[in-house]
Amino acid sequence: MAEVEETLKRIQAHKGVIGTIVVNAEGIPIRTTLDSSTTVQYAGLLHQLTMKARSTVRDIDPQNDLTFLRIRSKKHEIMVAPDKEYLLIVIQNPSE
Amino acid sequence: MPVRTAKQMKPTLKVTKSRTPNQSTSGVLRVNQSATNTRSVNSSVHRKSFTLAGDSKVLDKGSVQTHKQTVQVFDETGKDVTPQPLYQPEAGALQPKQSKIFTNHDTSGSTLSDFLSTAYQTTNASFAAPFTRSVFGSSSVSRSSQSTMESMNDEIEDPSSKKDISLSLSDVQVRREEIKEQIKEHMLDCMVDCYLTETETIWLLDMPALSVSMDSEEAEVVKSEGRNMAYQELCKNRLGNDKYMERPMQTFNGAPKAKEVQSDSISMVEKATMATHWDIYDSYVSDGGAGNAADGASPTKLDISTLHRVHSSRPLDRTMSGASAISTASTSSSRIDTEAFVVQGENESDPEDVLHSEKFLQDLLVMERAVLENIYQPKLAAYRQLPILPDPNREQKAGDERDGQDDVSLNPALERLWAFNCELTMGRNVSNMAWNKKNPDLLAVGYGQFDFKDQKSGLVCCWSLKNPTWPERIFHCESGVTALDFSTCSPSQLAVGMHDGSIAIYNVQSTEKTPVIDSSDCAHKHTGPVWQVRWVENEHGPGGEDKRETLISVSADGRISKWFLRKGLDVKERKIEDSNIYLVGTEDGLIHKCSCSYNEQFLGTYTAHIGPVYKITWSPLCPDVFLSCSADWTIQLWRQDLFTPILGFTSTHKAVHDIEWSPRWATVFGAVNEGRLEIWDLGSSILDPIIVSMARPGVKLTSLLFATQTDCVLVGDSGGQVSVYKLKNLNAGEGKEVNTLHDIIRSTLASQL
Repeated sequence: MAEVEETLKRIQAHKGVIGTIVVNAEGIPIRTTLDSSTTVQYAGLLHQLTMKARSTVRDIDPQNDLTFLRIRSKKHEIMVAPDKEYLLIVIQNPSE
Repeated sequence: MPVRTAKQMKPTLKVTKSRTPNQSTSGVLRVNQSATNTRSVNSSVHRKSFTLAGDSKVLDKGSVQTHKQTVQVFDETGKDVTPQPLYQPEAGALQPKQSKIFTNHDTSGSTLSDFLSTAYQTTNASFAAPFTRSVFGSSSVSRSSQSTMESMNDEIEDPSSKKDISLSLSDVQVRREEIKEQIKEHMLDCMVDCYLTETETIWLLDMPALSVSMDSEEAEVVKSEGRNMAYQELCKNRLGNDKYMERPMQTFNGAPKAKEVQSDSISMVEKATMATHWDIYDSYVSDGGAGNAADGASPTKLDISTLHRVHSSRPLDRTMSGASAISTASTSSSRIDTEAFVVQGENESDPEDVLHSEKFLQDLLVMERAVLENIYQPKLAAYRQLPILPDPNREQKAGDERDGQDDVSLNPALERLWAFNCELTMGRNVSNMAWNKKNPDLLAVGYGQFDFKDQKSGLVCCWSLKNPTWPERIFHCESGVTALDFSTCSPSQLAVGMHDGSIAIYNVQSTEKTPVIDSSDCAHKHTGPVWQVRWVENEHGPGGEDKRETLISVSADGRISKWFLRKGLDVKERKIEDSNIYLVGTEDGLIHKCSCSYNEQFLGTYTAHIGPVYKITWSPLCPDVFLSCSADWTIQLWRQDLFTPILGFTSTHKAVHDIEWSPRWATVFGAVNEGRLEIWDLGSSILDPIIVSMARPGVKLTSLLFATQTDCVLVGDSGGQVSVYKLKNLNAGEGKEVNTLHDIIRSTLASQL
């Protein structure tokens, strides 16, 4: 448990990391470093995208599953580690 | 008595007259007398309701006992016009299921019978059903005899009850099958004689010709008398005859009347179901691989189509009460849906539980690596010798671009990539570094002091290239770490030698913080600091096992011990089979050549150094050549057979702590003295190093390691940092360095003589 907290802190302290969000399966944020409205927005939108991505991956091969999702945009990179019970989101600005 | 409508009379009688009624199985197209329907208008209604009700009433009727009486139908003249069975049943077994399926399809049968009614002007339901039987008759509906048919008619005559012919058929079938079953069991073992004979000809359809050929005998008869002549007469007479006149007539048009009917609105409900490939696969797998068509894990396209049909026909199947395979699949899948809902409801208990899960920690680690990869991507790419791709979204300043291009020089140089550093290691002296034999990205670094004073507790960190900011494994040791080596046979074992003379073996795969084996309890353990440990492969282990590894350690108490791994560590004397030759450096400056077969004596001594020898290293590409470095500021190059050094290198007045041959080029080696890192290339110059890199101020460089697969060099310093440098533009030639080295040696020797 302490290791989890420590790792979360380390990730947040890395260069360029804007925010870290952990939401559970119902969309309730467990840990977040952003403000509440942004957190809820990110969680909702990324949840839908993750479902779609997972559905795509499994449609192609049902034995496969989605493990990690990275979205690179002009300004940021959003990294999502999805699971049945939670969603781990990190937003980073890689070119700082 | 059955009621017949007038219009039915003629066709009926005609048919019967022209045929000879056969007692046995003549499948003549006889029209059954209209039996049941007093209300002929409702017959169509009857038909439809009768067939639909057949589904639900199938089971009901099973209990009804019908007595089979022979019924005979007579027409007005008293002639026996009992309907013959249209289709003689074959005495074959019939699956009851098929009849039920056919009852489902009776809707189509009703349309067929509609067609028949228009064709034959009959509204007889019972006619339709047997005809359908003959159409679908390949399923061989078994009927016993004419009596059955008559009994069916008996049922049909009952207008009040709606009966199903198929039911009685199935009824009969069941009984027949039962009888058959009993017989079979008795007679299984007996020899049965089967006699095959030709049966009588079975007429299924006989449509007599309406024309005769001119040559036949009947031609004369037909021509001369009979109807043909009469018809010709009639045609002649028709013209002027009063009897045959064309007259128009007007029929009365009934007055139309509008009638309104109001019915309940049909409520529409939208039903959607998800039928993605993986959803089907999931329910298939969780069903336990339902159905024998699923071989392997993924259902074939055929199965998908059947399951699709199941999904779509679910509302229809609900009306069926039978237990066919299709319905079990649909009900089980609906059960799965309800189960899923139940599971979701239970998980509302603890949202914080997520943080405790193992998978979350793993995901965090992966995420951290991904984040770091973004930061360190150019450096890692340089390490791996991949082209560095510029970030297209970065704003390029004009000045930067120019600077970057000017920097390309042709001199050999070092480029600093990154440093392994974290707050744990800050301030500790890097004493030793070792690569993992199996995973070339894993680096073990030992932290410990060299000097006797100032002892802190030791630390071993395993760093991964993917995360330069935090080590993957951290092991705390009691005393300072002075030696490290990874095993080759079991690549997750790391042997650590410590300042207090004990040796521990850690398993880096587990996250335990304690060593697997510790030698501190051993009787023969070292009393001085262990300067080096090495895993050595043995060809023949004791007891015939092959490729066991032994651990050899060198310590300041003057002993070289070989350790065998049992439950604990134990010192064994050297075996006679082994003939490894090894070199030992001492604090006096002597280098002894020893062999494992001789316990006590040295084979030879190399004298050159004045101060304690810190490191001896064989050249990995030239088997006879080795280097040694010592605190007397020199590096000596030796060949195995000569007891004086071939070449000596001095550059600064500092003790050389560490040297290592480059694994790729035979003429290149690196040296670390207190203030700087030097890369020597014997091919270009034997007097000066070709690359010199100064250490950070205040920090002494203490150890050196070459990367095995790329041309990078790692330098550890007393500040706890391990810096990674990339060697650039090292024109050491390819392929002929071994020869170059030999040439140098030879030329030097020649010049010395």
